[in-house]
Amino acid sequence: MINNFPYGKAPFWLLVMAIVSSVLLIAVSKKASERPDLILVTFTGAHYDAYRQAIPRFEREHHVKVDVELTHWSSLQSRLQNAILANTDVPDLVEMLEGSLGYFTRGPLADVGLIDLTDKIHAEGIDHRVVASRFSLWTTQGRNYGIPHDVHPVMLAYRRDIIEQLGINVNDLDTWDKFVEVGRRITKDKDGDGVIDQYMIDLPYGGSWGLILLLLQKGGQLFDKDGNVAFDSEDTAQVMQWYLHQTRSKEKIATDCGATQLLMKSMSDGLALFFITPDWRSRAYELDMPNLAGKMALMPMPAWTQGGRRTSVWGGTGLVITKRTKHPELAWELAKYLYFDKQELGQRYKKTNIIPPFKEAWDLPEFSVPNRFYSNQPIGKLYAALAPETPPTYSAAVDGLARASLDQAYSRSAEYYAVNGDAGLLGKIRAELKQSANRVREMVERDKVFHREDTP
Amino acid sequence: MSRAEPPKTKGAAPYLFLMPYLLLTAVFFVYPFINAVVLTFYRTNGPRSRVFIGLDNFRYLLSDATFHTALWNTTIFAIASVCLQLPLSMALALLLNRGNDRVKGFFRLVLFSPNLVGQIFVGILFSVLFTPRYGLINRTLQSLIGWGLEERWLSNPKLVMPAIILTSLWLWVGFNMVYFLAALQGVDKSLEEAARIDGANNWQVFWHVTLPSMRHVVVFVVIMSIIGSYQLFELPVALLNSTSGFGPDNSGLTVITYLRSVAFQSGDLGLGSAVGWVVAVIIFAISVLQIRVTKVVED
Repeated sequence: MINNFPYGKAPFWLLVMAIVSSVLLIAVSKKASERPDLILVTFTGAHYDAYRQAIPRFEREHHVKVDVELTHWSSLQSRLQNAILANTDVPDLVEMLEGSLGYFTRGPLADVGLIDLTDKIHAEGIDHRVVASRFSLWTTQGRNYGIPHDVHPVMLAYRRDIIEQLGINVNDLDTWDKFVEVGRRITKDKDGDGVIDQYMIDLPYGGSWGLILLLLQKGGQLFDKDGNVAFDSEDTAQVMQWYLHQTRSKEKIATDCGATQLLMKSMSDGLALFFITPDWRSRAYELDMPNLAGKMALMPMPAWTQGGRRTSVWGGTGLVITKRTKHPELAWELAKYLYFDKQELGQRYKKTNIIPPFKEAWDLPEFSVPNRFYSNQPIGKLYAALAPETPPTYSAAVDGLARASLDQAYSRSAEYYAVNGDAGLLGKIRAELKQSANRVREMVERDKVFHREDTP
Repeated sequence: MSRAEPPKTKGAAPYLFLMPYLLLTAVFFVYPFINAVVLTFYRTNGPRSRVFIGLDNFRYLLSDATFHTALWNTTIFAIASVCLQLPLSMALALLLNRGNDRVKGFFRLVLFSPNLVGQIFVGILFSVLFTPRYGLINRTLQSLIGWGLEERWLSNPKLVMPAIILTSLWLWVGFNMVYFLAALQGVDKSLEEAARIDGANNWQVFWHVTLPSMRHVVVFVVIMSIIGSYQLFELPVALLNSTSGFGPDNSGLTVITYLRSVAFQSGDLGLGSAVGWVVAVIIFAISVLQIRVTKVVED
């Protein structure tokens, strides 16, 4: 047969390969078309595991099939937005990371591929049952496109064993001034080799999340509630100056312990004694450093002023429903089930330490259980007590650029500080902040070529 | 067994067999190429919405300090590639060219192997090696010269580019060495011997005989290194992961990282295309210049 093919052997095999590939392609696409009723995509392994356990009950109660998929947050953002804009298949529900809503709601209104949930949230009274500040991440132009998964209040985790040996009463550390005063005393080179081997606190060297978190605690913001760039404020300048003193001066009290294994090593070695710890991070310590069980404890963050806010916020996840879903009502039911079902939330807290924004859940017994790792403190209660104080955080399309620009202003101010010290530092910080903020504003202006019907 | 006689009239058959190639080329090369030109005149919101803005994307690039930083960083990296990487590759190739075949084969594999694992892996590996206090590089420096234990290679703007260049040396020196080694093996030994008989020392033999004999490979490697340098992306992104490859004060930002940021994170495919064309023009200009200079030297 091959020998009788009129164009020779090679074209024959090319033809065979083309036919086989086409058949395979058709077979695969047919299999792919057997879609479940709902597909939910998340970017955290902990949520993925929790939802896979929770969803069978929902499937039984609603007689539907739901798939949960796990992906990386960075690919989720660009791929999902491009899939929405290119009209290709997208999941029905997606968990998003803080700061990403602006990315999905930029451009013309027709390009927004998410369902506006504002009316549903108000009609069902959800806005009164959830920590109000947490809706800010999922709101743009006054419309709400997502529901918050968490509160992520921040506390300080500390090496209780070492702190007690040093005779420090953490109850006295209620302001940052007092914290710094003690920090200068205990930050030292213990073995005399010229290298400091005990610091008071872990803070990132490049600013980054540490700077933003402290800024939020003080009342500052990257964006105001209308999405305008707001980080060139006096609050930011003050926090930046304070941060430079604590991380770069001769009297510094902070070191950068990094993340993952490096953080574990630093924590175990006692390189730093206090660690900024939102609820989600508290669980990571438990899992990664069982050797520190019973040696750690939590305390509220020191306030900027006496009696001021004792917490901040770091991170945030929310659930959105895409416009292309064929079952918007079912998707809404699943969203409520996963985020507001008390039974599910209690179970999930036990596995993640994450405080849900749904206030009614905080009375569940799971939140009062003493935690052995944190010296038997009922950490759920501690975090929940701080949850209503968490500052709001607002989102804009240029969120990533704003964060990078803030870090750039910090980096340039740090270079100035290394050469000139405190002389003229605050003025330099203000100028750098203004320049960085203006660059972000310029990018916002460029986006205005797209007319928004919902923009005044 | 005789092959079937092809029919005299081929008809549409040859075109049908060519169709997959033509189709793929049209879809994945010709259309994107034309579209990339068209897009430079638009401001886009991802792939759907676009507004015609004329030459504004190029105007923006001319005034954008971040793009200038990216261009500067990339140029510094390209210069370092040519001035540090290639001499090192050449030195290693000359060294290996003297050994016997077994030794040559072993070291060729050892020096080439970093390239097998890829830039992402190397970036992650070096981000651990550069770790302050606990990293191998910092600890080694501290024990050798009493400095470096707490140096923040990836957080200090002044040290970021040296860190990227150091990492790239480990990655690429062995790769380029293989080209030079192959070229060295093709050099006419009788010419080198004749030069030595005429009294030339090792350096003179290398400079006047060996190097000119392998000039085509050298030009090729230099051009490829420059092109590769202007396309640098994965390495800084993996190395400076916490700042999305930008580094503190954009000290590790390259042109392609900038392109990725504006096109795929900010959604402006028009500006991204404009960046792509600027890079293409730069690479083209440098390559033409390089070839002309080589020709002048040859003449």
